[in-house]
Amino acid sequence: MAARRLKRVVASQPGFMKLKSTSDDGDSISGRRKRVNKNKKKNWNKHSDVQDIDEFLQDVRHQERTTGGLLCEKPDDSLFFLDVGPPQKPEQKAAPLEGKRRKGRDSRPLRIDLILQHDSLVPPPKDVLAFQQPNAKKLRRIAQKAEQLAAKGVVPRRQKQLLNRRSVERTAKRAVTEANNNPNRDYYDMWGQEAPNPADPWYLQQTGKSRVKRPEKLNQKPSVLPAVEVIAPGGSYNPDFISHQSLLQEAHEVEVKKKKEEDKIQRQLAVNREDTATEETILREQVEGLVEEENEEAAAPNEEEEGVTVGGITRSDRKTERQRRKERAEKVKAQRRLAGRRHIDQRQQLFQLRSIKASIKQQDQITKIKRKQRKANQEAQKAQPRRLGKLKFQAQDLEVKLSDELAGSLRQLKPEGSVLKDRFKSLQKRNLIEPRERAKFKRRLKVKYQEKRAFREIT
Amino acid sequence: MGGLQKKKFERGSATNYITRNKARKKLSLSLPDFRRLCILKGIYPHEPKHKKKVNKGSTAARTFYLLKDIRFLLHEPIVGKFRDYKVFVRKLKRAYGKTEWSAVERLRENKPTYKLDHIIKERYPSFIDALRDIDDALCMCFLFSTFARTGKCHVQTIQLCRRLTVEWMNYVIASRSLKKVFISIKGIYYQAEVMGQLITWLVPYQFSHDHPTDVDYRVMATFTEMYTTLQGFVNFRLYHSLNLIYPPKLDSKAESQLEDEGAYAMNSESYLEKLSALSSSLARVVSSAEEEEAELDQFPVEGEDIEKMEAREKEQQQQEVQKKIFVGLKFFLNRESPRESLAFVIRCFGGEVSWDKSVCIGSTYDVKDETITHQIVDRPSIEKQYINRYYIQPQWVYDCVNAKILLPVEDYFLGVTLPPHLSPFVEEKDGDYVPPEKLKIMALQRGEKPANDEEEEEEEEEEDDEDDEEEDNEDEEEEAEEKNLKKMEQQRSQGKSLQVKVTPGKVKVENPERLEQEEKAEEKRLAIMMMKKKEKYLYDKIMFGKKRKVREANKLAAKRKAHDDAEKSKKKKARK
Repeated sequence: MAARRLKRVVASQPGFMKLKSTSDDGDSISGRRKRVNKNKKKNWNKHSDVQDIDEFLQDVRHQERTTGGLLCEKPDDSLFFLDVGPPQKPEQKAAPLEGKRRKGRDSRPLRIDLILQHDSLVPPPKDVLAFQQPNAKKLRRIAQKAEQLAAKGVVPRRQKQLLNRRSVERTAKRAVTEANNNPNRDYYDMWGQEAPNPADPWYLQQTGKSRVKRPEKLNQKPSVLPAVEVIAPGGSYNPDFISHQSLLQEAHEVEVKKKKEEDKIQRQLAVNREDTATEETILREQVEGLVEEENEEAAAPNEEEEGVTVGGITRSDRKTERQRRKERAEKVKAQRRLAGRRHIDQRQQLFQLRSIKASIKQQDQITKIKRKQRKANQEAQKAQPRRLGKLKFQAQDLEVKLSDELAGSLRQLKPEGSVLKDRFKSLQKRNLIEPRERAKFKRRLKVKYQEKRAFREIT
Repeated sequence: MGGLQKKKFERGSATNYITRNKARKKLSLSLPDFRRLCILKGIYPHEPKHKKKVNKGSTAARTFYLLKDIRFLLHEPIVGKFRDYKVFVRKLKRAYGKTEWSAVERLRENKPTYKLDHIIKERYPSFIDALRDIDDALCMCFLFSTFARTGKCHVQTIQLCRRLTVEWMNYVIASRSLKKVFISIKGIYYQAEVMGQLITWLVPYQFSHDHPTDVDYRVMATFTEMYTTLQGFVNFRLYHSLNLIYPPKLDSKAESQLEDEGAYAMNSESYLEKLSALSSSLARVVSSAEEEEAELDQFPVEGEDIEKMEAREKEQQQQEVQKKIFVGLKFFLNRESPRESLAFVIRCFGGEVSWDKSVCIGSTYDVKDETITHQIVDRPSIEKQYINRYYIQPQWVYDCVNAKILLPVEDYFLGVTLPPHLSPFVEEKDGDYVPPEKLKIMALQRGEKPANDEEEEEEEEEEDDEDDEEEDNEDEEEEAEEKNLKKMEQQRSQGKSLQVKVTPGKVKVENPERLEQEEKAEEKRLAIMMMKKKEKYLYDKIMFGKKRKVREANKLAAKRKAHDDAEKSKKKKARK
């Protein structure tokens, strides 16, 4: 294309070369001229024919863009060259080193990059606005003034304000966000003399400015146990023989108790020999109802007898008048006899006064003992951990060192048990927290296991 | 018979209690938050007397709270903070999810926090109340301060706990209020008397932690949070009661000594380290010289009370002496002995203490110091020994503190089998079994020389030499001992206090006393004869109980003797 155009340009060159010679042909064809008022600027713009100038300018731009200047102004050498056949390739290329070839390939740009390259020879226009600053003069003056003031040591008002405000803010913020466990926190005299609030207590209460009083009852401790229970003397690192033995005994008893409970469960879970099916029982089960006719026969007469007896109860004879009278008389007689007897007994009790007194005393004593026992039980209960939740309190294992584990010196002592656990259990024992189990991890969706194919092939 | 039918569970105990879940919903808190709030405010679950009534007919085991308590919780301002925190976490999560780092930073800066000061004030209206509950706080702080700085709890909490415990130990040293120490297999128990309150705490051994899995760390951390606040305020008050500067500052003298040791820790931590060395005294607001002269004022009281007053004074003097048992002694701790505990105990009783420079900061003198009186060593032998000092095992220090006197050092020399470390927390009543070691210490406290035992030992040594006579001798001895035992039993059964340590030399001197005793016994017998039947019965019962106790104690003593004999024979065999 470009070559053809060039040819045409060369062909139609009067004084100035035109790239598009076809444009003026169209203009001459358009025949009749249009009449327009030329006293209006709008019409000038609209109807004056500027196409040729436009085209000319476009052509100039085009030439500048593609060739970097007007073609007519270029020297001939830059436009033409002497064609002397294909260029001679250098001999070296016959045996190129691999490394070199790669290097050459590397240095040559990719074709795609070449296409995308900016090929205009006209430098892009300068954006004037980018270099301009609005109010530059004013700002410059202000800056100069500020410099002068700074040299004098005067801080502008706004900055001063900022400085002031920032310092206040910082301290306030820190006070708010100081964490509870800050290791450098400071304490004050909490139980010192406090100035009573001068405001009206009713006002304070109603506006929620005074704290609600803590009920007295909350200050009672939930258990009578001491916070720190000292280990038995046998728990010394170098214990006395007897106390060590007694501690061991205690631990032993605990273990025995545990074992007993375990054994009990085992016993209850054990399969009963008699319950297992033997061949005999299986056979009996299989022939159940087929052979045992004799038993049924034996059972049948029993049923009949029962039926008879039931019938007997329902049937009743009417009593005669005489019988009734007799019964009544007997009843009266019995009552009289009983009354007489009671009367005699009461009289007789007069002589039994001593023994009665004794028995009353005895009863009293029994009640007293029982009361005391109950009191003692209640006292003992106070030291016991309460049932505060789903789980019961379980005491931790006794810390014990066996006789052969006892270290001779403090250096060789290996501590037993964990103090952390001891404290935790102590809190539970004193009813401060309820015994709890760690929440179990529950998977909501089932995990699917699948052997990988590669793995399966091996196995 | 009119009126509406009464509905069940609308009055009585059913309305006094509330289940945990309902309470939680009422406060609109999550369960962990609710638990935390309850711990902080000191509101604990209750076990109702009639579970079925409270639980609306069901007997399922549930956690109940008193409704009034929960109503009280509604007024707590911290509840609002908990809610704020929840919102904060939500916002933070969101910002993270959107990778808005500036928002994250801003949120972090404005993290809602709360203080527990008002709760402490509310729960412990007076200082003594707080002091009564300090046992727990101390245990917790000591425990948390030994934790490794792994992710189990906040590092800051550990630091705070360490600071508070160091302050406490320094206070105990300054006030000389330590009473008892017991080295158990679990940890070390200390007891101090502060303002008339006996305070016991347990310190775990260093580096002995395995973290048990069945302990709720969150609950423990919450308790610690509350207790650190409490402990801090108590420390402040205690320091001021002694005119000490709070936060604690080292004495100017000590400070100048320690100044050059910058290599141990970073600047921010080194001061705490120096304080925790426990080797130097603290700075006071007023100089200490004036204070110590102050004496108790004496008020004249009526005739009867004077005796009591005198007794009390005597006791006080004794206590003063007991507080100073280590005064004038200079200790040096070898590197294998537990430094912190020993330094704490020794300083509590006025001793001077130092250690090798490479063990810890704050050592004040060297091994080569000629004025050292005791060196504490916990290894079988040591190469270079100085003549003018005792080389003893650490147990000596603790036993001295418990016995309240300086015990003879011979039993605690290097390589010697130590006498048992007895628990000072056991108090034997009349007629209980008392281990022989304790008897010996009691004798020492009374001012008697332990000549008896040494003689016995010597005798035994002789026995060893003379094999032929041994059997006869032993038999005789045993007989004599049995007689002694019987006598003791009789004496005890008559309800007299133990006069166990009667040396043979003193028997003749006691004659007038004995006469008096006999007279007394006679009177007693007469009194018994004059008793009413009922009282007599009671008396007999009591006496029987006492006798039984004595019998048991004797049995234990015999057992102990058998054990000792067995040990001895074993030793003998080993020697041969």
